[in-house]
Amino acid sequence: MSNENRASIVLDEEMGVGRLGAVRILSRGVEEAPILRQGFGITLLLALLGAAGRVVIPVTVQQAIDHGFRESGVKVGFIVALCSISAGVVLIGATAQRAAVRRLGRRSEGALYELRVRVIAHIHRLSLADHNEERRGALVARVTSDVETLAEFFSWGGLAWLLDGALMLIVAGVMLSYDWLLALIAFAVALPLIWVLRAVQAHLGPAYDKARTKNSEMYGSVTEIVTGAETLRAYRAGRVMAGRTKRVAKDRSDAFVRAGILGAFLFPSGEVFSALTVSAVVGVGVARGPGGGLTAGALVGFVFLTYRFLEPIAEFTEVLDQTQTAVAGLRRLLGILDIPAGPPPPTAPQELPAGPLSIDVADVTFQYRTRGELDDDEPVLIGVNAHIPAGQQVALVGSTGSGKTTLGRLLARFADPGGGQIRLGGVPLTLVSNDELRRRLVVVPQEPFLFDDTIAANLGFALPGTSLADLERAVSKLDLDDWLSALPEGLQTSVGERGSQLSAGERQLVALLRASVADPDVLILDEATSSVDALTEVRMSRALERLAQGRTTIAIAHRLSTAMRADRVLVLEHGRLIEDGPHEQLVTNGGHYADLFAAWVSSTSTADNG
Amino acid sequence: MSGGSTNVARSRLQRWREAARLIRNLVRIHPRPFVIAVAGAAVFATCTVASSVVLRWVIDHVIDPRLRRGHVDTTTVFAGIGLVIGVGVVRAGGVVVRRTWAGIARWRIAEKLSGEVVDRLVEQPITWHQRRPSGDLAARAGVDVDAAVEVLSPLPFASSVVLMVIVSSIWMLVIDVPLGLFAVAVFPVLISINLTYQHRVDRHYTEAQAHLGDLSAAVHESFEGVQVVKAFGAEQRETERLATIAARLRQSRTSAVLLKGTFDAVLDVVPALVNVSLVLFGAFRIRAGAISIGDLSSMIYMFTLLVFPLRIIGYALSSLPHALAGWDRIREVLDEPIEADPEASLQRSTGDVGLMFEDVSYRFEPDRPVLDDIDLTVALGSTVALVGTTGSGKTTLLRLASGLLGSDTGRVSRVDGEHALVLQEAFLLGDTLRENIAFGGQYSDDDIWRALECAEGRDFVEELPRGLDTEVGERGVSLSGGQRQRVALARALVRRPALLLLDDTTSALDPATEARVVSNLRSELDHATVLMVASRPSTIALADRVVFLHDARVVATGTHNELLLSNDTYRTIMEAFEVDRSALEPGVGG
Repeated sequence: MSNENRASIVLDEEMGVGRLGAVRILSRGVEEAPILRQGFGITLLLALLGAAGRVVIPVTVQQAIDHGFRESGVKVGFIVALCSISAGVVLIGATAQRAAVRRLGRRSEGALYELRVRVIAHIHRLSLADHNEERRGALVARVTSDVETLAEFFSWGGLAWLLDGALMLIVAGVMLSYDWLLALIAFAVALPLIWVLRAVQAHLGPAYDKARTKNSEMYGSVTEIVTGAETLRAYRAGRVMAGRTKRVAKDRSDAFVRAGILGAFLFPSGEVFSALTVSAVVGVGVARGPGGGLTAGALVGFVFLTYRFLEPIAEFTEVLDQTQTAVAGLRRLLGILDIPAGPPPPTAPQELPAGPLSIDVADVTFQYRTRGELDDDEPVLIGVNAHIPAGQQVALVGSTGSGKTTLGRLLARFADPGGGQIRLGGVPLTLVSNDELRRRLVVVPQEPFLFDDTIAANLGFALPGTSLADLERAVSKLDLDDWLSALPEGLQTSVGERGSQLSAGERQLVALLRASVADPDVLILDEATSSVDALTEVRMSRALERLAQGRTTIAIAHRLSTAMRADRVLVLEHGRLIEDGPHEQLVTNGGHYADLFAAWVSSTSTADNG
Repeated sequence: MSGGSTNVARSRLQRWREAARLIRNLVRIHPRPFVIAVAGAAVFATCTVASSVVLRWVIDHVIDPRLRRGHVDTTTVFAGIGLVIGVGVVRAGGVVVRRTWAGIARWRIAEKLSGEVVDRLVEQPITWHQRRPSGDLAARAGVDVDAAVEVLSPLPFASSVVLMVIVSSIWMLVIDVPLGLFAVAVFPVLISINLTYQHRVDRHYTEAQAHLGDLSAAVHESFEGVQVVKAFGAEQRETERLATIAARLRQSRTSAVLLKGTFDAVLDVVPALVNVSLVLFGAFRIRAGAISIGDLSSMIYMFTLLVFPLRIIGYALSSLPHALAGWDRIREVLDEPIEADPEASLQRSTGDVGLMFEDVSYRFEPDRPVLDDIDLTVALGSTVALVGTTGSGKTTLLRLASGLLGSDTGRVSRVDGEHALVLQEAFLLGDTLRENIAFGGQYSDDDIWRALECAEGRDFVEELPRGLDTEVGERGVSLSGGQRQRVALARALVRRPALLLLDDTTSALDPATEARVVSNLRSELDHATVLMVASRPSTIALADRVVFLHDARVVATGTHNELLLSNDTYRTIMEAFEVDRSALEPGVGG
């Protein structure tokens, strides 16, 4: 089921585990989830005992025919004894098998849980560079569909390896003990089945992969019809697009039917080989006659055992395929665990001084780690130096790609600089514990993310346990009471998925409030680029001004009005700090900033003001 | 008390009826492949019983005579071997036929059904769409259809199992009545164990599925908000929150596997004990001369063969509730009448009128008008800016003009010819840029490039390695908000519309680019009537006239400068862009 939505983007091609063989991957998997190894020997023993219970019937029939139903008559005493023993073995075997299944089930679910939580924890600790939008689906897939392929494996394939493997072993043993020659003949005739199955399998895997791809294409196409309903209608393109979706739906059907036909030959080939093997066994057995020591009971028992032996083989080929899928899933999971986590925590953390904090940027250089991509050699930041005294309001200005967003990230320690050092209140950032850093320094991102919950819950995220009264006080402090009271349910208003019930400007307001609840000493603000409606804009700048009071504030400014309000403007271009000073001074100096400002003034002026 | 139990009985009967109706309705769509699949299943069932008959014959006529009495005809041996292989091959053939045509039936029926749902989705107007969450609608053409047809795949096999049970019961009774009765009596026991198991384990599986859904949603949200999580140092907290959901999933799954362990054992033990008993009672029947060794072996063999297929009945029934729910949800879409197309109520404007609203009102809820008594005339070929705060009704007005919505009262008329609406949130298909701009129409590359140029999108598209053939969306490049808006604008422009409606289409562009786009529009589409929602003063100033909407009404119309002088609210809103600047720096603002 979850195979269907396995839209897996392989993340780990360049990772070390990408090249390890299946056995190494499995043993590393066991290493990561040691619970799997606990008492595995006992589980195996129980499985073998269970398998012994499943060959009772052929053996009973053989014994009854050879020793119970004599030409001279039926030996009732023997039959009663035989049946009592058989019933006992059946019960013991079933009990053992039950125990084996339950042991394996408990441990594998435990292992999956541990693995899942470890991967989640690790992903949360990855640096933001590993968290871009294109990768998000893949990261979510690691925790959901990849773990699910393992879950499917354990609930079916893993059990099959254990139970059917044990069964085939025991059946082969019994056959060999009856008549080693007949047994070898049976194995020899059955052997080509494996090749037949592998051949079908080789086509079946890709056929199902294709069908699954077509399946997600169709689901995607249907989603487009629905999400784009308004545009489709505005362009009267409904019919054309419905035709497009139907073509994809037909492709999907074709792919599934084709894969289905291949699959249709897989199981019955086992049946054909059973018939061939039984015929060979009967033919050879009858040809040799009673002289070879073969009894009628043993031959009948052989016929029964042959079916038992071949039954799991057809299943095994599917299990093999599923095992490959599971190993691939495990490989991707281990790949995630191998990505180094974000900035390492300090071994001996130093405390930050109390009160507002100064920031020192000393000769900072940064270059994004690229993964096999070619756009290297271009550092994002080059030798940036700045001392920002405690409580100063600073605006970072520069065009897209100038490095201002990256500098903001380094200040928040979402990544560490490649060269140079950043100090907060005199303490190197690398020596500040994460807990303290997040308490003292808060980032308001450009597109603030809101959880699908109430405004109150989103604000409380900053400081769990904040009372409703405190939240209301925060709202008043930023002068947003009028905005809040206009909302249908005030603080209890639901914001919807990603805050979709609010406008872009309102989401910004919630983010500012959230930062205010955290009450940090340093505020790093990544301003939004998109325009919001004028009244919200005014509200926002007023709230921001109040929020910034008494804190060291770094605004990554996209609006020059923000820069104008700041105590100091840092202008970055191509990763270098090219201008540094208050707004008026930079304008009068007539550099890069002065040009930007002139362009902005002309574009925002109303006609009659010019 | 008895009333309650009749109620349950009736609802169960009702469920069976519904299931039968569902199957009939589905099969009716493509009956042929389904019938072929059932025929294949019947061959399989017959051959399964036949193989046990053959075994009896081989034991009694080949194995027993040769190994006990020392002699057998070679012809008899070959006949026996031929029968074993023949029945085995035909049985396998039955399986191939069954699986192949069951697959064809299932997927072709699904294809037909989702096509029907998609047709409905594109035919219903947007008011119909707005009343339903989009994820829910998309599910009806996808997941729901798949759930409904899922009921078909085990059906041929399940029906062959029923046939097998009947034929083999008869066969066993023919061999020996007392032994046969004993064996036949076990079938209902096995079936009811299977059903009980399926019923009980389904509860855990459904629960697990729900937990998995919760987990996926929570993980997605948590990773999406990772910047916030990190900003507040909440990594540990978030991991713990997700771990509690994962623990619930683990709990349901573990319960299911524990149950499976028990029932698997029971389902192995019961037939095994029946077989042991058959040996025991069979011994007495053999002693009485009622049956042969071959008879007994064949019965035991028969029983062994039936154990696995019996499980399919439980499985087939387990997919029923899902299938019924899916079918109901499909029918909801298919059975609802197509709502009237609001575009039909639009009038054609005459003379030099490009777009006209007369006494137009529109409301979502009875006492809260979104637009109230709108009177508005846009001259043919002119460009008019629509200004207002969030919630003033700008978007609704554009939707009325484009015919996506119909007005409650009043009359909307517009110029004859192509019209195009560009929404603020650009919708792009997961397809090439060319396909996104042509959008079902036929346009030359020259036309498309020209439209892109006018939308100021030519430069960025030229820089893409595959140009117009670049795929956008999940499998292709991801475009920025401004780039998406320019592609959507080019889609409108390539149609050279007589009426162009823009809903803050250039909001993600920088002011300079936005101004260039607007003046391009004026020169390129000089005959077109343009009504555009805009918020930047510099853009608004480029329009011939401004319509100012406030609280669902048109409160003022005129040129930008006229409104700045005559309307205080308008001036406040316009100056909001500069208020902070002029307050800080008196010299610049004016």
